[in-house]
Amino acid sequence: MAEKKYLEKYPRSPARTLWVLKPVGKVLRMLGKTVIHRPVTILYPYEKMWMPENYRGRPGLRFDRCVACGMCVKMCPTACIKLVDTENDSGEKVRRPQVNIGRCAMCGYCAEYCPVDAMTVTPEFELAEYTREDLIYGPKRLVYEGITEKMEIHLEETLMSDVENGNFERRISPFMTDRPVLEAAKCISCKKCEKVCPVKAVTMVEHGVNEKGRPILYPEFNDDTCICCMNCVEDCPKDALHINEVL
Amino acid sequence: MMSKDVADIKSEASPIDTDKMWVIMGPQHPFSHGLWTLKAQLDGEIVTDAEPIIGYLHRGWEKECENRTYPKIIPMADRLCYAASMTYTHLYCMTVEKALGIDVPDKAKYMRIMADEVCRIQSHLMWLAAVGTDLGNLTVFLWAMREREFFMDINVRLCGARMTTNFPRIGGVRNDVDEEFMMYAARCVDRFEKAVWDIISLIDDSSTFVSRMRGTGYLTREACANLGITGPAMRGTGVDFDIRRDDPYDNYDKVDFDVPVLKDGDSYARYMVRIEELFQSCKIIKQTLQKIKAIGKNAPYRFKVPSKVPAGRAFTRLEDPRGESAMYLVSDGTDKPYRLKVRSPIFVNVSASKPLVQGSRIADVPVIMAMIDMCLGETDR
Amino acid sequence: MTYSSILDWIQFGDVMSNPFYPYQTYNLPFDIGYKLWEIIGGLIAWLINLIFPGNGVSTWLISPEVSNMFALVLFMVIIFAVAFVVTLISLWMERKVLGRIMDRRGTMVGLKGFMQCIADGLKTFMKENTIPKKVDKMTYMWTVSLIIGTSVLIACMVPLSPRWFVVNYGTGLLVIMALFALAPFFILVSGWAQNNKYSLIGGMRAAELMISYEVPMLIMIATTCLLAGSFNINDIVNMQSDTVWFFIPQIFGFITFIFCATAEAERVPFDIAEAEAELVEGWQTEYAGMKWGLIMLADYMRGYVSCAMVVIMYLGGWLIPFVSEGVNGWIPEIVFLLKVWFVFFIMIVLRGALARVRTDQIVNIGWKVFMPLSVVNFAVVLLLKVGGVF
Repeated sequence: MAEKKYLEKYPRSPARTLWVLKPVGKVLRMLGKTVIHRPVTILYPYEKMWMPENYRGRPGLRFDRCVACGMCVKMCPTACIKLVDTENDSGEKVRRPQVNIGRCAMCGYCAEYCPVDAMTVTPEFELAEYTREDLIYGPKRLVYEGITEKMEIHLEETLMSDVENGNFERRISPFMTDRPVLEAAKCISCKKCEKVCPVKAVTMVEHGVNEKGRPILYPEFNDDTCICCMNCVEDCPKDALHINEVL
Repeated sequence: MMSKDVADIKSEASPIDTDKMWVIMGPQHPFSHGLWTLKAQLDGEIVTDAEPIIGYLHRGWEKECENRTYPKIIPMADRLCYAASMTYTHLYCMTVEKALGIDVPDKAKYMRIMADEVCRIQSHLMWLAAVGTDLGNLTVFLWAMREREFFMDINVRLCGARMTTNFPRIGGVRNDVDEEFMMYAARCVDRFEKAVWDIISLIDDSSTFVSRMRGTGYLTREACANLGITGPAMRGTGVDFDIRRDDPYDNYDKVDFDVPVLKDGDSYARYMVRIEELFQSCKIIKQTLQKIKAIGKNAPYRFKVPSKVPAGRAFTRLEDPRGESAMYLVSDGTDKPYRLKVRSPIFVNVSASKPLVQGSRIADVPVIMAMIDMCLGETDR
Repeated sequence: MTYSSILDWIQFGDVMSNPFYPYQTYNLPFDIGYKLWEIIGGLIAWLINLIFPGNGVSTWLISPEVSNMFALVLFMVIIFAVAFVVTLISLWMERKVLGRIMDRRGTMVGLKGFMQCIADGLKTFMKENTIPKKVDKMTYMWTVSLIIGTSVLIACMVPLSPRWFVVNYGTGLLVIMALFALAPFFILVSGWAQNNKYSLIGGMRAAELMISYEVPMLIMIATTCLLAGSFNINDIVNMQSDTVWFFIPQIFGFITFIFCATAEAERVPFDIAEAEAELVEGWQTEYAGMKWGLIMLADYMRGYVSCAMVVIMYLGGWLIPFVSEGVNGWIPEIVFLLKVWFVFFIMIVLRGALARVRTDQIVNIGWKVFMPLSVVNFAVVLLLKVGGVF
């Protein structure tokens, strides 16, 4: 088919065209084609469309990898995720996310913003249930067998400062760069940050004693284990912590 | 030819003084693609007055945005328009980037406009399908939907979702593309450019289709200006304006494409503008794929952006498949917008329904309104 | 006469020798009905005779008068059943062919999708019989009954062969046309009675549609009858076997008549009375459940009759071309039905390819295209007739 422009070819003058015959011919051609070959439609419940591995169906969970940081809860635009108490394989009490699939918008944010890649997308999309209670996927039910590399979504961002320095090709997750910073004047040594940290990256270090003789404890952050989940920032009663965003 | 036809139709109205009848078409009516109502006053078969009623799908979108952090609004912007989700997410991201005062990487720009054009084709094909059903032919509907499926596949391979793509991000795009995707997309576009001629010859070579569209729903340039109509509906009346070319955003100034403009101002002109836009979109997609390939694999595609937007205002506009959509953001320095206003093209275009359908026959109302390409998600927000 | 064994009760007599046989010529469905009654009635009579030997009822049951009466009942059932099955097959064909045209599969329930028709029929029968509150109930019900009734009547009246007919009228074609043309009036009244604006417009449109196609259609029927020299369907077909199929001399008429027949059956592109894009379902809007199912069936029956008219008038009825008389006598019914389905296939393709026309356009087409073409057709036939070709 040679290069033919639509607007040059049409509109046609009524005198020059076979007004009804050409569409009829097209239709008959398609009829012949579909009688010989199969039509493009697929018999859905029996046949299924090809889906790529990273198809955004319901969220999936790697139970062991999850650290219960609550990043998915914070990022979920429909607020359908919450952390619930459950038990892991060795019987310890842990907290893991539970997803209300009825409200889930399948945006994939939980997988994208998971610092440890425990949340993934799964290609499972047949989620109809009979009751609304059945739509709530607890942590154990959220586990998806056969999670592959491609189902993880990595958050790879380029720092603008890197580009300015000529380092174009470095892609880094914000969870590797952003770290909490303490305003020591506001800290009341309540140790809350130590309690809420899911990866035990906070250690309270003694910095002398105050006038009442009690020890002054300031949190110190282990940059290697910190995953920038912002739990300490959000739970700090005196707003003494904030995230230092590396741009 | 144009004014004569209008006079012809008007003179067909009966000189006998008969009672006029209000016919309420909608909200559950086969012609209204979505939930909206067109009240039409009929004199026999001639429409003498019309009034659109919208608002059945109002979800409080703009208010809802005020309670969410900036990244969380992107999936919501997807839901503004189910047929062209990519353009709205793109628009939102552009607005926030403008408020932040940052520039996204080149690769992300090309990927965004490529995704935009895929979305434009997809949206236009859905419109073409709707035109088919409005004219009583299901073949066009299914053939157009079949072609649309290939672009859905492009979307799936691009970002893992078919309709609500959630692909652009503030500062770039969600993920990189690989070689396989680019090959697939190029092949799809090549295939589409040949396959769409089937649908075209089904419609443009058929007297039944053309005679239904030609000479109905006239609109003049002046009326366009007065009513604020934008998009293909405006370009069908002879206004040569396209934001992609005249106020280029992202990298539209670096790709080569034409803006189809026709002077007739009837439904058929609007139809032809949209069909030609399909080909132009294909052209843009091909160019962007080459540019993405030329930029290289390891180039940045997503910048890290601060979570808090400095206080200020930002306004951006973009060429939606349906017209000119704009967003206006007022931020107060927190991580949530103070106010986000959406200007949706259909909300404005549907107000033209009275001058469009007045004087035409009731049988033409679905066709004329199909040329507006209603999308209620963005209209009612 | 003594009746000793069961075979004495079931006597396969010649139907023509029955003194009460209603026709002059041999009638196959009547024969089948007669034979069926011979079996059923004979069995019943034999059973009764076993219990009450020598009673009068048994002999009454197999007497020629009674046999004839019950044979007539069975004959009616057979005629309707065949029309019904033919309609269902054309419905199935439409769904399947239209599906393939649109690059999809069409119906998939049982027997390559044929069972879908039956499933749909059962479904509509099981639906609640809802009637809107403010309709004119009397008119609402009897108009739809008449629309369905006339459609079924003409579907049954179509002869499939010289031996498969209900009545062999001298004016067969005219009677079919007259009954055919009744429905638009009922549609008009029904549209008014439904107290719904869509229905009202739909009813008006049915009348408008009729104005546009009826006149050229009647001219073309007159042309064919002029060519054949008779209104009798048998004579028309026989004339075509003597000369050529009438679509050769009347090629304009043939093409025009296919479109007119499409309009007659209210199918796309001429289904303006039930244009679903603007009028929801036109005059059928307020009919729900079983009523709608029957209307749908009646629609397809009208489609079948339209195709049958085309076949009778232009495609040589039940004749197979280029074969001897004897071969033609074997399966004329099947040949006729195959031709009917071929014409219906053309209608399906038209439906797949074309869009619905507007009300003013259909009147324009009817009076500015079909009318001159039918007159030209008429003139050609007149010339041929005067010139002595036919």
